[in-house]
Amino acid sequence: MNQTNPPFSSLRLSQNFGQALGVKKVLAVVPVTKPSKDRFFRTHESPQWVFPTWILENKSTGETFIAAPEVASAIGDQALAVELYVAIDRQNNPFLIPIPLPGPNGVRNRWHESRLQAVEKAKSVWIRISSNKDLGGYDVFEATAKLPDPDWPGITLDELLEVAFRGRIITSVDHPIVQERLGKI
Amino acid sequence: MYLLSGFTEGVFLIDFEFRPEHGREGNNPEPVCLVVKEFPSGVTSRYWKDDIHSRSSAPFSVGRDALCVAYFASAEMDCFLKLGWKLPENLLDLYVEFRCLTNGTTPPNGAGLLGALLYFGLPSVAAQHKDAMRDLVLRGGPWKSQERLDILDYCETDVSALELLLPAMLPTLDLPRALMRGRYMKAVSRMQAVGTPIDVTTLLEIKTYWEQIQDALIAEIDANYGVYDGRSFRTKNWADYLQREGIAWPRLPTGALELTDDTFKQMARIHPQVAPIRELRSALSEMRLSNITVGDDGRNRCLLSPFSSKTGRNQPSNSRFIFGPSVWLRGLIKPQEGFCLAYIDYAQQEFGIAAALSGDEKMMAAYRSGDPYLAFAIQAGAVPQGATKQSHKVEREQFKACVLATQYGMGEVTLAQRINQPVARARQLLAFHRSTYRTFWAWSDATQDEAVLNGKLWTTFGWEIRVKGQINVRSLRNFPMQGNGAEMLRIACIFLTEAGIRVCAPVHDALLIELPMAEVESGLSQAQGLMRLASRAVLGDFELGSDAKVVCYPDRYMDERGQVMWDTVMGLIQKIKGQQPAVASHTT
Repeated sequence: MNQTNPPFSSLRLSQNFGQALGVKKVLAVVPVTKPSKDRFFRTHESPQWVFPTWILENKSTGETFIAAPEVASAIGDQALAVELYVAIDRQNNPFLIPIPLPGPNGVRNRWHESRLQAVEKAKSVWIRISSNKDLGGYDVFEATAKLPDPDWPGITLDELLEVAFRGRIITSVDHPIVQERLGKI
Repeated sequence: MYLLSGFTEGVFLIDFEFRPEHGREGNNPEPVCLVVKEFPSGVTSRYWKDDIHSRSSAPFSVGRDALCVAYFASAEMDCFLKLGWKLPENLLDLYVEFRCLTNGTTPPNGAGLLGALLYFGLPSVAAQHKDAMRDLVLRGGPWKSQERLDILDYCETDVSALELLLPAMLPTLDLPRALMRGRYMKAVSRMQAVGTPIDVTTLLEIKTYWEQIQDALIAEIDANYGVYDGRSFRTKNWADYLQREGIAWPRLPTGALELTDDTFKQMARIHPQVAPIRELRSALSEMRLSNITVGDDGRNRCLLSPFSSKTGRNQPSNSRFIFGPSVWLRGLIKPQEGFCLAYIDYAQQEFGIAAALSGDEKMMAAYRSGDPYLAFAIQAGAVPQGATKQSHKVEREQFKACVLATQYGMGEVTLAQRINQPVARARQLLAFHRSTYRTFWAWSDATQDEAVLNGKLWTTFGWEIRVKGQINVRSLRNFPMQGNGAEMLRIACIFLTEAGIRVCAPVHDALLIELPMAEVESGLSQAQGLMRLASRAVLGDFELGSDAKVVCYPDRYMDERGQVMWDTVMGLIQKIKGQQPAVASHTT
């Protein structure tokens, strides 16, 4: 028995369970949502991880669709031009926060502007937001504890968007959702 | 056979027949006969009592080039020690290997020698005959000449069984690790031979007055509850008490009250007024004083039942082992004159094992800090850097409960009950654990995947558990901590006993050792050093510390959890003795 090599080291078996099995967590759901008031989150600091697009929200089902530009122009103000910020909560669940782009006059409404400021802040610190109707914007609460940086999923933005909008990309006005919005069904 | 070709001095299959000295449980064994069969030649030698007692060493080679094979070999090694023979260098215990091979499953005929033979489809002697012959041995001598022949024949049948079993099991054996386990069986014998010193006088007093003590305890404690009818706990009375007090009590799916000790323990945290009745129930139900086996020399000895649990831990009889019944009875443990006892337990063993084996750097740092619970709170950002046990006592307790909860796979509701806080707080604590120790959790997830997909898990030295039937995810996830904790203590037992330290008993993640008063400091330091070394054997470069509690003659050992009950019982004995000056003498 010597102090440099632990005793019985030649007999020691690895405890690296699962390594040979190659089991990995599959990202199955990425919601598109505003963070709830009790959810601390961070947003990805890279501008490459912000995705501008048109979205169409189906409030009754809670679903969000991506609409191709020609579809968006066909349905007018029912489609919303947004930037999607990739966010993650303390439980390591990624989600997308939509921030509507400024209107034709180049001005954002106060709520949207306030949300944008919050997601920008969340690039460097953990925050949660809560709507303040009196102010017409969000209160931002910053976590004062020294919390670890987020553990981002090891996938690309395209892969993440694919999960978020699987089966929910509208490329034609013939899509039932568009037909419904246009009052055709 | 290739596996055995290295044993150039021979492979010897052995079996002893023995009975406890003077027929008293708790005494060391008195060997009655020995049969040795050389493998594979089949040459058999039979030795009766007088012959083996006259020898100063085993009648076959026990050197490094020989292999000794037995079934439940600690019993054979007990006889070696009794006879003063040098223990075999290499010991293969087919019982241990059969347990390892079938752990997690239920062999249809059990894990005894007959069960193993039947498992491999081999012929065996009738169990009935086995029992009859055991009784004949236990009866004690003198044995008539025919009885001697019968006993020797019977002993030989067990060795012949080994002759069949060994080749059947050979393809399944992981010999280097099997020999390591065999080495532990030698340590078990050494520990069984030492035993735990007991204050026999006080034990006799408690036995003598136990009936009156029970009545007095019930009268004293139950006065506030009214649930006992004589010495029986009445469920209906308990239900009435709960209703009177407005306490919501957990129930079984049938609607009946849940009455396990664990339920009482948890409810006592939420409703402290039920704590005394829990203590009383525990004291009365677990008390089987007459079963604690104490030898003529006043030492508690019992079969340590090594490798009996799924995790590979010892599983000695709760009623025979002094560490088995209620903790207050540990007050009976008392060093003999000129000696001290040291109870040495690994500090936060499960946390340390989880940290090292998962490779979670933060967890390892928390362990190394000396106070992993507070370090966890700091790492999670819940308390400031520089927080201390005193400045953040409440937070530390909550984070400690959280660590223990994750080890037991406890959910947020139970944790909330345990810390007497809202479920939201428990949820937050558990989330802190997951987010702080991500590497550990990824490893824990992988452990579960391995168990479910591959059907088994193993420890660093090859103790395996097979996953069959209904899966208990919590225990599978906890297996690496429990199983490797068992490995660690086994290696510690090997190191300490081989270094000549008198180990009285292994107790979960602790050892009770006996040291001459003059050598306490050096002996303790040596023992703790060897325990650290054992932790490195299991964890690689990571070392676990230990805490030691030393008690020297004439003081007695005491588990602090049992102090109040001990004092109460001792007080009652004095009171009873005062009321009853002439007490009938008690004989055992």
